[in-house]
Amino acid sequence: MTAIIQAHSLSKWFGEVVAVNNLDLVIEEKVIGLLGPNGAGKSTVIKLALGLYKPSRGEIRVFGERPRNNLEVLRRIGYCPETDNFFENATGFEFVYYLNLYWGMSTRQARAAAEHACELTRMTARMHDPIETYSKGMRQRIKIAQALSTCPELLFLDEPMNGLDPRGRDEMYALIQSLADAGMTVIVSSHILYEIERITDSVALIFKGSLLAQGRVRDIRNLIDAHPHAIRVETDAPRETAATFVSFPAVTAIDFDEKGFVMRTRDANLCYDTLNDMMVRGDNRIRAIECADDSLQSVFDYLTR
Amino acid sequence: MSTLNNQPNDNGADTEHKISMADSITVNAADDSPARRILPEWLRPGMQPRRRGYVCIAAASARHALVTLTRRKRLLLATVIAFLPVLIPLALAFLSTSRFAESGNEVFVRLVQELHINVFAPLLALFFAGMLVAEDIEARTMPYILTRPVPRSAWVIGRFCAFMIIATAILASSAALTFAASSIHENLSLTSLTDLTLLAHYLAVMVMALLAYGGFAVFLGAFTKRPIVYGVILLYGWQGLATQIPGLVDFFTIKKYTDALMPIMATQRHVAEIQTALGTFQREVFQVSATRSIFALLLITGVSLCATIIAVSRREYAADRAAGG
Repeated sequence: MTAIIQAHSLSKWFGEVVAVNNLDLVIEEKVIGLLGPNGAGKSTVIKLALGLYKPSRGEIRVFGERPRNNLEVLRRIGYCPETDNFFENATGFEFVYYLNLYWGMSTRQARAAAEHACELTRMTARMHDPIETYSKGMRQRIKIAQALSTCPELLFLDEPMNGLDPRGRDEMYALIQSLADAGMTVIVSSHILYEIERITDSVALIFKGSLLAQGRVRDIRNLIDAHPHAIRVETDAPRETAATFVSFPAVTAIDFDEKGFVMRTRDANLCYDTLNDMMVRGDNRIRAIECADDSLQSVFDYLTR
Repeated sequence: MSTLNNQPNDNGADTEHKISMADSITVNAADDSPARRILPEWLRPGMQPRRRGYVCIAAASARHALVTLTRRKRLLLATVIAFLPVLIPLALAFLSTSRFAESGNEVFVRLVQELHINVFAPLLALFFAGMLVAEDIEARTMPYILTRPVPRSAWVIGRFCAFMIIATAILASSAALTFAASSIHENLSLTSLTDLTLLAHYLAVMVMALLAYGGFAVFLGAFTKRPIVYGVILLYGWQGLATQIPGLVDFFTIKKYTDALMPIMATQRHVAEIQTALGTFQREVFQVSATRSIFALLLITGVSLCATIIAVSRREYAADRAAGG
């Protein structure tokens, strides 16, 4: 299989801060997760692959070519950034439409592609509203729409699940799987193993700017299962919600606070699935679910010892 | 039912697709993996539309900038300010208690030189040309654009063209109305070919001034975080000083070359002198020919735009780098 992305001795530093350190990475899979705690260097690796940053040392090649200012490579790439920045006073449709014009589409193509991308991300009903009126989840979807509207061969999704509700996340998982099935290469960054696990079995672990490991998620999962996993649940009825989990043998502790509770579990998947089901069934008391967790950090600590 | 008509793609396939909502339904999966969605035809491999050329991408940049500009209250404010000189000849005609009639020619020349060309042109350049570039960088929307196959020069030139269209429209219409308003005084007529030539001459100088000031402001927008602050210091502070102090430093201003293009030579307009505690010094004015001035202004524009293109290409858009990740 030909490598889609190949990084060799790749380093990037900003002043005295080393963001990526001597990274060797080969990506051949259709879907791969870049997994690492916040500040690990995942976004920097993606930006190096997009040509937004110039490597301080080493090199990175995408489709066999250096990506920086390389229009032929950029033509084949889609990018959904982590940050929520949009054109001033633009509607969702305009945002996608103008980016399509920048890509080089004709007016008619840009309009049709923007409409179809909004339809695909279920934004049609609100696409003519100003982006500033969108919820976090809708902003996320319009960012994904702009990335998909040019029909790229390689798609970078930087923390794509941020802000999505459980149903939105399920849709996103399904969409990413379908894109991969259709032949698109998708690179997803996340600091939550569970998210990556739902999408792909291939993962690259990045920690302190270096590639720690690359391989199957289940191998990482086995390591993580040895460590309790912390999940924060914000709810209006903490005791009632927590009661569901008390009977789970995998749940080792539940600590209540002002906003809800934090539970520690050895089976994070089971707890996330149960919370998901509760919300999908209409449990409106749950306001937020968050990985309050340093289990991934502890795995990284374990791997780096 | 919506349609997407693609141009022939890179493989030469001429395709036309019809998709419907049913194309993107969710299909249940039997296992734990998320349910797959049937993707619409337009998202299948090889369906990427054909890219258009450089000029179309520059036009897209200009069009986007024009739409952004026209939605800003700042544009309305700038237009109102730019049209204030129209009121001055009217005020002079109706409110002046002078016993002598004002010369329409003099009123128009003074307003268009001192306000339109020397004040409003740099002001519009700083607020629109400089900010068009700086704001995309500031708003962190550059990664969206620069991860598209956009030639950096097309993006910069598109932005610059948008500024030229807006600024020329505002200043030219204001100057034309000022001319019309001044014609209510003596010595200026709307039907005189000589006077209309004078107007055309000033409009041409205005365009040259906008080119040079706009190019310089775009450069400031790409290189500095506060283009307006630096611009005010350089275009109003430095230019004002350099055109007063003795020596040849005024050659390092844009005003030197726009002044040289005015119908009336600089030496005839005013006596260049500087008054100090030690006395008054007469300043020798070195003239530049109109041809050389045009060349100098085009050179300033070209060099500024080239430097901006190089800066945009080389710059790393790392506004969120501190956040890590």
